[in-house]
Amino acid sequence: MKISFIKKHYPGIISVIAMLLLWKLLALYFNSALIVPHPERTLITMLRLFTDVDFLGIAGSTILRGTAGFIISALLGILIGIVSGIRPRFNAFFRPVLVTIRSVPVIALALLALIWFRPGFVPVFIAMLTMFPFICTNVIDGIRSVDPGIVEMAKFYRVNHSRIIREVHIPAIMPFIISGASSALGIGWRAIIIGEVLSQPDYGIGTMMHAQQIYLNVDAVIAWTIIAVLISYIFEKLIRLSERKLVSWKET
Amino acid sequence: MSIHVGGLHKQFGNILLYRNFSITFTEGIITCILGPSGCGKTTLLNMIGGLVNPDSGNLSGFSNKRMSYIFQDPRLLPWKTVRGNIEFVISREVQKEIRRQKTDTLLKLVELGAFADYYPAQLSGGMRQRVAVARAFACDPDIILMDEPFKGLDISLKKNLTRSFSAIWKAEKHTVIYVTHDVDEALMLGKEIMVMSPPPVQIVAYENINVSPPDEKQFNSLKKKLLMALGES
Repeated sequence: MKISFIKKHYPGIISVIAMLLLWKLLALYFNSALIVPHPERTLITMLRLFTDVDFLGIAGSTILRGTAGFIISALLGILIGIVSGIRPRFNAFFRPVLVTIRSVPVIALALLALIWFRPGFVPVFIAMLTMFPFICTNVIDGIRSVDPGIVEMAKFYRVNHSRIIREVHIPAIMPFIISGASSALGIGWRAIIIGEVLSQPDYGIGTMMHAQQIYLNVDAVIAWTIIAVLISYIFEKLIRLSERKLVSWKET
Repeated sequence: MSIHVGGLHKQFGNILLYRNFSITFTEGIITCILGPSGCGKTTLLNMIGGLVNPDSGNLSGFSNKRMSYIFQDPRLLPWKTVRGNIEFVISREVQKEIRRQKTDTLLKLVELGAFADYYPAQLSGGMRQRVAVARAFACDPDIILMDEPFKGLDISLKKNLTRSFSAIWKAEKHTVIYVTHDVDEALMLGKEIMVMSPPPVQIVAYENINVSPPDEKQFNSLKKKLLMALGES
C-alpha cells in the first residue's frame, strides 16, 4: 500500500523537488532577499505566519470569501444552467449575458466593484462573476448530455416532473457540476486575491500580500502565495473526494 | 374485450406509413406484430403509447389504461441500482415497504435477486434488458408495449429472457403488444400473430395459435407460413 502510494506519486514528488531546486538556484544567482529570497528563509517566514495571532482571521476571511462566492455562483449557475438546458428559448436569451460576463476583464470588474461595494464584498463579487460562467456552461452541457430516451421512458411511466428533474437531470449533470466547480474554484481563488489586493479589506491574504510588497518583504509575499496555493489545492482535493462519493455509479 | 386502432394516418416526410390502417388487439393475451425492418412497427407502438401523435385516427379502449414499454435498449438510469431503477417507476403513492417487496419479487422472477444493489454499468447487456423487463411489470400495467426488446442478443439469452418474461406474464395475463421481425420470437411468445406489409402498412397475414407455444410440428409449419407472408409482403 505504502509502496504503491509512493510509486504513484513519484513523478509529482520529483517535480516539486525540481521546482524547489530551481528556486534555490535562482536565489543563489541573484543573491538578494529583495529579488529572490531563499526557499528555507521563506519557509521560516511562512511558519512564523502560521503562529501569528491574526493568521486564522486572515486566511479564514479569504477562505470565507471564496466559499461564499463559490456557493452563490454555484447556486445561480446550477439554476440558470438547468433552465437554459431544458428551455432552448431561455438559453438563446441568456447566452449573450453569459458571453458578456465571460469576456469582461477581471480588472474592469474589480474597478467597478470598488465603486459599488464595501471592501469586504468586492472580492466575493469578482470571484462570483468569474466562477459563474464555468458552472453555468457545464450544467448546460450536462443537461444536453441527458439521454432523451431515458427522459422519454420516465415520462412514459408517468414519473412526475419534479422527480424527473431530481432523479434524472440532477444526477446526470453531477459529473459536469463537479468538473465545472473544479475549474471555477481554480480561477476563483486567484480572483479573490486580486480583489483583496485592490479593495484592501481589513483581513485577507491579498491585503497582507500587498502590505508586505510595499515593505519589500518578498519572502512574506511568496509565503502568502504558497498559503494561497495550498488553500486552492485543499479545495481541489475536497472536490475530488466529493466526486468519488457523488458519482460512485460511474466506477465499475 | 378489445382495444382498437382505427382509420390511422401517419406520414413521415415523403413516406406514407399508414393510410386508413386499422388493427384490433384482444385483451389479456400476447399479440405479436411481425414486419420487415423500417415498416413503421416502432411508430405504431409509439402512437399507441402516446409518444408520437398520429396525423389522424382514433384509438379506443386505451383510456384509463396504465401502460409500460420495453424499449429496444434497456434505458436504465446509470446512477440508480437495479433495485432503484425498478422502484423508480412505481407510484410514490405506494408505500415504501410495498414498493421494495414488489421489486424484490420481480427481481427474483428475472433471476437477478443477487444483483439488486448493482449499478447498470456492472451488468451485462442481457441482464440490463432483464431489469427493463422487471421494470415494465413493476408499475402494474394493463398494457405492455414491447419493441424488439431482445434484438441483438444471442439465441440462448433470447430464450432465457423469453422464458423469464412468460413466467411473470402468466401470473397476471396483461395485454401485450409485441413488435418484432423475428419469427421464432413471435412463435415462442405470441397467441395472436399478425404480419405487416411495407408502407403503407396493411396486415397481410393473421394466425391464432391455439396452444401457445405450439409443438414442433405446428411451429415449423407456422414458421414457413409466416416467413412466406413476410417475404411476399
